[in-house]
Amino acid sequence: MADLVKITVDGRQIEVPHGELVIRAAQDHGVYIPRFCWHPRMREVGMCRMCLVEIETPRGTILTTACTTTAAEGMVVHTASDTAKKAQEGILEFLLINHPLDCPVCDKGGECPLQDQTMAFGPGESRFVEEKRHYEKPIPISDLVFLDRERCILCARCTRFADEIAGDPLIEFKDRGNHTSVETFPDLPFSSYFSGNTVQICPVGALTASAYRFKARPWDLLVVESSCSHCTVGCRISVESSQNHVLRFNGVDNGATNQGWLSDKCRFGFEFIGSEQRLRTPLVKVEGEFREASWAEALDVVADRLGAIIEEQGGDAVGGIGGARSTNEDAYAFGKFMRTVVGSNHLDARLDDGLDARFLAAVSPRAKIADLDRAATILVWAPDLKEESGSLYLRVRHAVQERGAKLVVVHPRRTGLDDRATHKLTYRPGEGPALLGELAGGAGDYAKVLETLSLGPVVAVVGRTGLTEQPQLAEEVAAFALSLPDAKVLPFARRSNVFGALDMGVAPTLLPGRAAAGDSEATGHLEAVWGPIPTQAGRDTMGILQGLVDGDLKALVLLGADPVRDVPAAGIARRGMESAEFVVAIDLFLTDSSELADVVFPAEAFGEKEGTITNLEGRVQKVNRVVTGPGQSQADWTILDDISRRLGKPLGFASAEAISKEIADVAPPYGGISWELLEWDAKEGAVVPYGEAGQPVAYRPDGVDREALAAMSRNPESGAFALHLARTLYDDGVLMRNSLSLHALAPGGAVHLHPADAARLGVSEGSLVEVETVDASVRLPAVIDPSLATGVVYVPFNQPGIPSLGSDLSVVVAAGEEVSA
Amino acid sequence: MGMINNLRRGFAVTLRVMRRTVFGDGLLTTEYPKESRQKPERFHGRHVLNRHPDGIEKCIGCELCAGACPARCIYVRGADNPIDEPVSPGERYGFVYDINMLRCIFCGLCVEACPTEAITMTHLFEMSVTNRDDAIYTKNELLVNPEGIPNHMFTPEQDPMVNLDELKDADGWMRATAPSGRAAYEGIPGWSASAGIGLRPPERGQAGAEVEEDDDD
Ligand code: SF4
Ligand code: SF4
Ligand code: SF4
Ligand code: FES
Repeated sequence: MADLVKITVDGRQIEVPHGELVIRAAQDHGVYIPRFCWHPRMREVGMCRMCLVEIETPRGTILTTACTTTAAEGMVVHTASDTAKKAQEGILEFLLINHPLDCPVCDKGGECPLQDQTMAFGPGESRFVEEKRHYEKPIPISDLVFLDRERCILCARCTRFADEIAGDPLIEFKDRGNHTSVETFPDLPFSSYFSGNTVQICPVGALTASAYRFKARPWDLLVVESSCSHCTVGCRISVESSQNHVLRFNGVDNGATNQGWLSDKCRFGFEFIGSEQRLRTPLVKVEGEFREASWAEALDVVADRLGAIIEEQGGDAVGGIGGARSTNEDAYAFGKFMRTVVGSNHLDARLDDGLDARFLAAVSPRAKIADLDRAATILVWAPDLKEESGSLYLRVRHAVQERGAKLVVVHPRRTGLDDRATHKLTYRPGEGPALLGELAGGAGDYAKVLETLSLGPVVAVVGRTGLTEQPQLAEEVAAFALSLPDAKVLPFARRSNVFGALDMGVAPTLLPGRAAAGDSEATGHLEAVWGPIPTQAGRDTMGILQGLVDGDLKALVLLGADPVRDVPAAGIARRGMESAEFVVAIDLFLTDSSELADVVFPAEAFGEKEGTITNLEGRVQKVNRVVTGPGQSQADWTILDDISRRLGKPLGFASAEAISKEIADVAPPYGGISWELLEWDAKEGAVVPYGEAGQPVAYRPDGVDREALAAMSRNPESGAFALHLARTLYDDGVLMRNSLSLHALAPGGAVHLHPADAARLGVSEGSLVEVETVDASVRLPAVIDPSLATGVVYVPFNQPGIPSLGSDLSVVVAAGEEVSA
Repeated sequence: MGMINNLRRGFAVTLRVMRRTVFGDGLLTTEYPKESRQKPERFHGRHVLNRHPDGIEKCIGCELCAGACPARCIYVRGADNPIDEPVSPGERYGFVYDINMLRCIFCGLCVEACPTEAITMTHLFEMSVTNRDDAIYTKNELLVNPEGIPNHMFTPEQDPMVNLDELKDADGWMRATAPSGRAAYEGIPGWSASAGIGLRPPERGQAGAEVEEDDDD
């Protein structure tokens, strides 16, 4: 650190990096300078003038804003001199001229920087007696956010956030002087996926969240830190509850993951926790109808029927799907339950939307999210991150926009990052392998792209762009990416704790600790604790469902999984579940899948249980209990433990924490990770493999095999379209369905067509289009989408009221009848 | 010297009071419950939630009382005021308001915290109950009717000790100090009028108050 400079703040000499903002330098050394507009994660603007301090210069002392002044050798700063104080008091008095002071009814009251700093730095009295400025109170600027213009102090935090961080510049200041106010564009709401962050960073109560409106006051909130489990980033959040009800989530600044931001799905996706629809007692199906049952009764039924199937047909006749919505501890219990109690290797946490388990769990070298901050080039060949992982999207965006990293995006359709991409490659689903071959060859137009990509260090975010794409493509993409200079791969899948569940061995090909099933050393190590485990080859989710349809499998255990809704080939999922002799589901709700079960146990949800989760970079973080689960709900591991006892092979778990210790024992990469460590020392989480531990299998894809790629390419049948099926941020998943303010935001079913195709079919925006796949035939309104390649239709996956189209590439599209006006 | 003087002044008060109580007709004991006496002005009895003179509720559901309460016995939940038929002025009203009277220590901090003078304490203290649940006063018991009187657990017919008029006598503490007890507000009523009661008279020491003979001087 050669470039440290000495500055004096309030008479104390401190050493700070050259060029550091005075406001940050002072804060790092314990001197708090009041501020409204400056936010540590955004560019400084010097808008509010609250941070006025006195700085000595050769031409005498000047009064200037600490948030726009950088530290220089020998600088002398006075933050509390009489002049500085008078200036600060003056600014506060000025800011309060038009502030309505309706603190008692303001949602920010009690945690408001304007209140706090008025108390600490304000004059205590105003000379202003004139009538204040009046506006209509509050106006909704989006479905989730209210704006009260009277309270706004014009700090521009919200507008800068929308523009700089979210990339959705949908709010701006209007008018001048006394009449300046934040406005949306006419007829265009602030429909950003990140709008909720403005509520959190607004230093007054001008922006408030509709979901939290008048629900509580800060002083009656119980605040507990936890990690969000909507996507695989694991953003740090504070879960805030009152009277045993979760009332809101706020972002917590974890430098390694979300840096304080949250997408609206994560911020407002808590309503399901307190939903009336939550299961409260075990349910047992008698003659086709569910009946509430006692735990003992429900456990007896499971012991009888599942026990009989295991006894008669062997554990191999039972499959287990789920674990991705659970904590690591619960997923571990599930894996151990399936392998030792049931004696089956048919278990999977992925719902056929993911990639090879070994690729996800063990691709190497694996990037960390923070590597994006160092990358010269970022390759995103993955789902639209804006739709599937808001925080990761913000990190990539930030690296490109604020740091100038180069970005290459490859996707069948427009994505949220396109406006920042150096190169954007669009392709027809099915032709990804061919495109990869050409890109790797660097022929023609691709030479430039390849040139950009050869600027290391490279971080490649690799996933499956859509649900009709060949999953193996991602591995080839990873292989290609790893051939680039100084490259690392960040494998992307979206389902909450799927990485944790895979690390816990909830996949046919994996054992706990990212070991390959069948690896004799790992098996031996595990059997020393677990006792014998089955050796036959296991089936993945589709294999299990198909096995049930074919009659090879007889029973199914579901752990927080809803295959009927979430597996693209919904037909097989439904038929599989219907053909099963016995299905036991552990779930929060009666879902489309657990409806088909014979016994359903009520489980505890996020916020109701303690444990750990692992994110896509392998970072383990703690999730915490804030409220108690409804009715008789229990943690997943307890339920599995109870069933195991009834089946005569008790798992013998004492507590979730005891399970975490067992994980650290049997899974070497998790060795040394304890709850205590995560709570006290590793506040940003601990990355697996932790400490000295190595990775049992380092899955390093071989070089690009162009022949294999050519063989992998697929085309739709002649005359048919290629289907691009991708998830949207808000959809009809069971958690969204029970988070009412978000469910309404799901975009709904639509068929996106290239303008040329639309013209050819005689379809215009909004007119009905008939889409036919092997699984279903639906009629949906058309959207003209020039970002698609010709011959492609894009249909958002899992939308309310729309049957699943299946994951077949080929679809037949025809104009349906016109919508009557 | 000073001590003797102080003693003399102190005993003078004692003698004056004795003259009235022991030798005069001002009795020392009141034969409660046969008779009850006028409570001191600042007596802390049961709470009420007041209304504005036009009948609209004063409480805005801000939970400041609940936050101030050292016994944590107030539970308030706010909600959006219906636009056509607002329950209180402004955006928010208290749609749940409960006080657990078994926990309340009658300190009056809730009254002090309330920005709208919605919650006040009255002179009525006859509030025994026969079951714990009844000790939780909800809006049904707390909110006054347009005449300024709320529902009470027992009517005077059921309990002759209950004098409903005492529910109109607010504890005078708030009037003496609001707003912020500052001299600059001398003469300006620090209290807004309430339904059924109107503007309460200024308290001793406030401008406009009747000057009383002060015994202790
Ligand atoms: S609404 Fe809030 S964040 Fe936006 S400018 Fe006004 S005070 Fe600042
Ligand atoms: S009088 Fe005191 S204890 Fe009773 S409710 Fe009010 S603040 Fe709470
Ligand atoms: S009584 Fe007063 S302090 Fe309590 S919630 Fe109502 S307005 Fe707020
Ligand atoms: S914080 Fe420096 S001007 Fe606003």
